[in-house]
Amino acid sequence: MLDTASFVDVKSVEKTYFTPSGVVHALGPISFSFDRGQTVGIVGPSGCGKSTMLKVLAGLEDRTRGEITVQSRNVNGPLDDVGVVFQKDLLLDWRTVLENVLLPAELRGRVDEKIRTRARNLLEELGVSGFENNQPWELSGGMRQRVSIARALLLKPSMLFLDEPFSALDALTRDKMNVIVQRLQMHEEVTTFFITHSIAEAVFLSDRVIVMSDRPGRIIDDIEVGIPKPRTLSVREEPEFIDITRRIRIHFEKAGVL
Amino acid sequence: MTELRIDNPSAAETEDLAEHQRMVRRAKWLKIYHGSLLPLLSGIAGLLLWELAVWGFALPQYLLPAPMQVFETMIDRWPVLMSHLWYTVVASSVGFVIALVLGIVVGAAIATSRSIDRVLYPWLVIAHAIPKVVVAPLLLVWIGFGLKSGIIFVVVFTFFPIVVSTVTGLKSAEPDLLQLVKSMRANRWQTMWKIRIPTALPHVFSGIKIAATGAPVGAVIGEFVASNRGLGYALIQAVGSLDTPYAFASVIIISVFGVTIWYLAELVEKLSIPWHASQR
Ligand SMILES: Nc1ncnc2c1ncn2[C@@H]1O[C@H](COP(=O)(O)OP(=O)(O)O)[C@@H](O)[C@H]1O
Ligand SMILES: [Mg+2]
Repeated sequence: MLDTASFVDVKSVEKTYFTPSGVVHALGPISFSFDRGQTVGIVGPSGCGKSTMLKVLAGLEDRTRGEITVQSRNVNGPLDDVGVVFQKDLLLDWRTVLENVLLPAELRGRVDEKIRTRARNLLEELGVSGFENNQPWELSGGMRQRVSIARALLLKPSMLFLDEPFSALDALTRDKMNVIVQRLQMHEEVTTFFITHSIAEAVFLSDRVIVMSDRPGRIIDDIEVGIPKPRTLSVREEPEFIDITRRIRIHFEKAGVL
Repeated sequence: MTELRIDNPSAAETEDLAEHQRMVRRAKWLKIYHGSLLPLLSGIAGLLLWELAVWGFALPQYLLPAPMQVFETMIDRWPVLMSHLWYTVVASSVGFVIALVLGIVVGAAIATSRSIDRVLYPWLVIAHAIPKVVVAPLLLVWIGFGLKSGIIFVVVFTFFPIVVSTVTGLKSAEPDLLQLVKSMRANRWQTMWKIRIPTALPHVFSGIKIAATGAPVGAVIGEFVASNRGLGYALIQAVGSLDTPYAFASVIIISVFGVTIWYLAELVEKLSIPWHASQR
């Protein structure tokens, strides 16, 4: 029975922030589930609770109500086996690129030659080889974000959480990153939870796109993207791609966010 | 590869080389001219004017000594001045180091424990609101004449910038960064050592630099009130006997000491946080 359960199961989850300045009902209730290896894209108006959902899912924030299970285990506290990438690359200026990538291993006391090689290979796959001993501030925004993706993937997490990782990048770099991430993700076979405010990006990278409403965020649509992977950038001009982006855009138009 | 921020020199290569070199020379000259030559000339001119004014208007020495007179006094009484300087240096440095240790410990306690923060906060606010200078005469009453009260006065004078900058620094790590290391299962200790402390360092150093400039000032004020040695005492003594050239000489040495401490602090900062934006 357990084997047929979904990889991640979210049931009626809600999150309310209680702060000195007031109570914010940020999220839900929402319910959904997804399978191992899937890439789930999340789009929704800004401030609707996407980041909150990611943090609750990864166990970084407590939920106010509801149940979350990952591999049939209840989530209470940070998950053991995840990589997270935020919009800001959050690289540590006092460490070299390689030392930044090695941080998760170092925190678990697991730095050895094997993990160093893994770090170098990841950097190479992401196109940042040759910069291992540079300081983060010597790299451009796009390269920094690749380093932070390498850091997130270092310990082969079973889940990768990406929170608008490319929002600060220019359009061309962003396209390039989309292609790189798709390749890497297929290679690493990591279940991915991917937040973006770009509809095209969500559809391009995801097996499934979840559309969220205004705050408190709820699911207003859940779309399978059947286009086979790997996809090329020009797939964005194909009719089946455009059908999906249009469908999402219509939701936003109705909600008055676009 | 094109994403690395390195200037592309090919633009210069295609230019006429002679023209390029001429411009480089001009830029170098302008840098020297504005950077050191102009300020130096202005300084020399000022001293010259001062010297001429003193002789021209036949000003008495006790009102305004000429630069040369000050210089002569400094040479004549160099050993005495140096022994006073040594006393001031000891009071400033010992006081500064005590304030540094105390300030960082108290700052770290406040930043990591909300209860300690709440307990200490009103006291710090009150203590900080009192102008430090008024404490000096009280120290004379409480501790008496001598080095000990000088040191304590330096501590009083330099403690607050260090506490404040330590607290600010330790609290300045980005929430998302803290959540990121939480996702990597960092414990409190690791978060402190690998994230919070390095993030705090640039702030702490700005506090240290304020304290470093404050230390000689504190020592001198302390010597005004409760000492029979040190450059502050020398200054009071000189003014009291209308020995103005000696007073000027003391002031110059105090200033040089202040500037030296400042540069030392800058140097230590540069060596400790070469990665910070202010040091690149
Ligand atoms: N730590 C927090 N404390 C209080 N309110 C928060 C916090 N984080 C987010 N919020 C609020 O929750 C709502 C959803 O925020 P967020 O999840 O960041 O939205 P999104 O990522 O979709 O833009 C916003 O109104 C935001 O102000
Ligand atoms: Mg967000």
